[in-house]
Amino acid sequence: MPLLPALLLLAVFLLGPIVWSIVGSLTNATLTGASATSPDWVGLANYERLLADPDFPLSLWLTVVFTVLSAVVGQNVLGFLVAFAMTRADRRVATIASGAVIGAWVLPEIVAAFVAYAFFSRDGTLNQLLAVIGLEGDNWLFTVPMLTIVLANVWRGTAFSMLVYRAALSEVPPELTEAAQIDGANGWQRLVRVTVPLLRGTIATNLMLVTLQTLSVFTLIYVMTAGGPGNASATLPVYAYQEAFRFGSIAFGTAIATVMLVIGAVFSIVYIRILNRAEADR
Amino acid sequence: MTAAVARAPRPVSVASPRRSVSRGLSTAALVLVTAAFLLPLAWLLLAAFDARATYETRLPQELSLDNFAAVLTPQTTFVPLGNSLLLSTATAAITVLVALLAAYPLSRYRSRFHRGVMYGVLFGTCLPITAIMVPVYSLFVVLDLLDSMPGTILFLVASSLPMAVFMTKSFMDAVPVTLEEAAWIDGASAMRALRMIVVPLMRPGIAVVFVFVFLQAWGNFFVPFVLLYSPSKQPAATSIYTFFGQFGSIAYGQLAAFSLLYSLPVVILYILASRLIGGSFALAGSVKG
Amino acid sequence: MRRTLRTTTTALVVTGALIGVAGCSAAGEESDDQTLTVSYIRTDAFTALDTLFQTVKTEFEDANPGVTVELQPVSAPDEDYKTRLALSHRSAETAPDVFYQDTTTIRADAEAGYLLALDDYLAEWEDWGQFSEAARTAGLGTDGSTYAVSLGTDTRALWYSIPVLEAAGIPTPWEPETWQDVLDMAEAVQTSDPEAVPFMLYSGTGTGEGSNMQGFYQLLYGTELGGDALFDSESGKWVVGSEGFVDALEFVDTVYSEGYSLPADQALDPNVWQSVFGELFPEGRLGATIEGSYTPSFWVEGGSFEWPEYADQMGATAFPTKNGDGEGVSMSGGWTLAVGAASEIPDLAFEFLTMALSKENSLSYVTENSQIAVRADVAAEPSYLESNPFVGAVTELVEITNFRPATSDYNQISAAVQNATEAVMTGQSTPEEAAAAYDRDVESIVGADGIIER
Repeated sequence: MPLLPALLLLAVFLLGPIVWSIVGSLTNATLTGASATSPDWVGLANYERLLADPDFPLSLWLTVVFTVLSAVVGQNVLGFLVAFAMTRADRRVATIASGAVIGAWVLPEIVAAFVAYAFFSRDGTLNQLLAVIGLEGDNWLFTVPMLTIVLANVWRGTAFSMLVYRAALSEVPPELTEAAQIDGANGWQRLVRVTVPLLRGTIATNLMLVTLQTLSVFTLIYVMTAGGPGNASATLPVYAYQEAFRFGSIAFGTAIATVMLVIGAVFSIVYIRILNRAEADR
Repeated sequence: MTAAVARAPRPVSVASPRRSVSRGLSTAALVLVTAAFLLPLAWLLLAAFDARATYETRLPQELSLDNFAAVLTPQTTFVPLGNSLLLSTATAAITVLVALLAAYPLSRYRSRFHRGVMYGVLFGTCLPITAIMVPVYSLFVVLDLLDSMPGTILFLVASSLPMAVFMTKSFMDAVPVTLEEAAWIDGASAMRALRMIVVPLMRPGIAVVFVFVFLQAWGNFFVPFVLLYSPSKQPAATSIYTFFGQFGSIAYGQLAAFSLLYSLPVVILYILASRLIGGSFALAGSVKG
Repeated sequence: MRRTLRTTTTALVVTGALIGVAGCSAAGEESDDQTLTVSYIRTDAFTALDTLFQTVKTEFEDANPGVTVELQPVSAPDEDYKTRLALSHRSAETAPDVFYQDTTTIRADAEAGYLLALDDYLAEWEDWGQFSEAARTAGLGTDGSTYAVSLGTDTRALWYSIPVLEAAGIPTPWEPETWQDVLDMAEAVQTSDPEAVPFMLYSGTGTGEGSNMQGFYQLLYGTELGGDALFDSESGKWVVGSEGFVDALEFVDTVYSEGYSLPADQALDPNVWQSVFGELFPEGRLGATIEGSYTPSFWVEGGSFEWPEYADQMGATAFPTKNGDGEGVSMSGGWTLAVGAASEIPDLAFEFLTMALSKENSLSYVTENSQIAVRADVAAEPSYLESNPFVGAVTELVEITNFRPATSDYNQISAAVQNATEAVMTGQSTPEEAAAAYDRDVESIVGADGIIER
């Protein structure tokens, strides 16, 4: 039973919290006050409060915006284009570019968050650059908080998609694209008609993985905007943290966590299906 | 080649300038990408050596190591970095060991049970860890594991285990079974075969998993932020936050200097790993499924 | 198979040993557990408490050989500190023995069982008689026991820059009587010096509880319902739907939309107060703001933003009520020291607490931090009365001051108030919308039974 240690660890530290999440969301547990040490059952009251709270649909929407823009569009597309450009660019430039992209990814997340904060802050690098070309800067973290965290997440996370696509592109048989070239297809046509269809499986997998990673981004947002101003950038993880710990409503925060788990579970099932189909295709 | 020329509607020589145009475009695009990705880091590098740094990116009036001198104390740097090292090494080592044990039967024997476990593992790789931090906190209260280094390590192991098992299994699948079969015939147990034959053959893969888990544990902020409290136990990720506060205090230069010290080990490790084992490719290769 | 078993067992033992280590180290510590942990805030701009505890640590370790005091300062804004403290209380392992505790969270934390009831200890502490009635009340839990001992209290005043106001043609000493007087001053300053910030009004979640104490409550408690505008003391219920709440939000709206205050983005920076004390006032770029009685502590010699000229350039007066009823509004709060209920060495912890709050140590703390003394013997000391030129003025405000409702759900209500002011200052909501959202929040926090329409 060499599987036992793994199963034990997963059961206690991953399955445990999942079960705990569902159970805890049915109580009125708080961080302090009388219900901190002896919470009562309240049934679905936390979910009712969640549905009545206008912050919840907003937070859900912000999470979707953040995920779609920074992961599906940003990281995924940019990662692919960078990987694709690397196959044809000057080799030394490609190496340096790959180092730059990976650099942002290897940095510890809190360092990346501080760096991004400095970059977008009122006195930061971005505004200095804008001043050079004669434009007046703004406090971007305040005026367009979502845009700043989306860009920061693209900067931080593109490396993953780039690496995945670079590995996949290296496996595309060169004869296929060469044949298309000989048939008169230009670069763009070759990319869209030959390369992309060949990488369908990889693209699907990558999309799933970056989506799931992005759904759970916390540190970057917490350090850059703390979900503000107001709740203008409070995605679900930040919203859950604020409710549970800052406002002390552990049970309500747990209910939000359960919603995130359900979303994660739905994505996982889709992902596993895709993998299964890919295996069947082989 | 001659056949190809004959089939081509235009002379093949036309393709050459075309290719170099696309090569030029690609190179230019990558130069742009490189600049965009390096730009935010300029502040970090310059501010660290500027004794009077602000959030502005500027050349220091004089290069100064004052910021480093100020943060290179046991309390600010050495203890937190030591804790990070302990946390990440222990997490990576235990994860690799447990993942190897788990991946072996999953790779070598097919059964409904193993298939179920594999689904569980895949499901686990998709779990948004930040989603469960609130319940994890409550669970740790009950288990009396708050502020416990071993407790935090085991949670980090569990959270990186699904991906590690998945990766380890893919590497193990690539090791041919025939070698072990010979060993089995000689009467070796499965575990002996794993230790003597499989593990040596998949060393690079093991290294990839180790580095992958190590990097994640080293950079993780949220888990120790919620689970560890004593200053003596905090890793660099959370000590940076408690020392400099949210949005940093006024000591921007020191913040930058400490960030560099904290980032350097993983950058070096990553470079070494990719030199030694073509890490990035292997890493991505095992992930892309 | 036996080998398999052994390898697996090894792995399990390794895992188990690690879990075991947790237990062992905890058990090991218990046997010679003579470490006293102290948790508090220390930031670049707030070092007075750190100084106090460093002194007491030496004193205490000398008096109790074999006991080590472990100071655990947290460099964080108040709200983050409170969150971390509450999180650490959940486990006996992490709960500190002695800690810095905000008066508003005493009841909630006592109900949660985090604080040790100090009645028996206080009965035997001869100095306890020196503490003022208000200070003793501040330490009470819902059950009538005392859970914390006050370090000092404070009041809030309207602080103004004499040169900036005079340049705008406003005679000093300035004594505004209504909100309109304050707005008129702001307009005059804006006209005379468009670069200056006429009236900084703390608001929103960035500055946390400070936004309420140095901002919104000063307004709200000066509306028609006065001291009952937030919480109806007679019925013991939270007030919703009141006109005063909307009026106060409208004042916030005016101040921000007219550009009298710092722009919302800067006002939401948790460290904005540092630039108020460190730059705006000393550089003559700010007309007035509501701040605590501790204000001079930043400017005195040895303070974080030394500015010797403050004594001549600054004035302090009571913030007016909306229509000039009464003598003005002030808010009082203050922090305390408490002992953890899970402490294994409560006797030592209380001894540490009394050392920190002794006459001598209190005197140097309240002087350095410009607190209003709560010990009668300290309040009578000449060195306290002369510590800065404003001691008299801010101490007078004790007569008109208000205390926040000390209920266990106060902190959640406070967060809802901060959300309302933030929504208005950023222009995300109108005052009416923000007030309606606040009413909904309050109801979801305390239930329909806990609110009263006024």
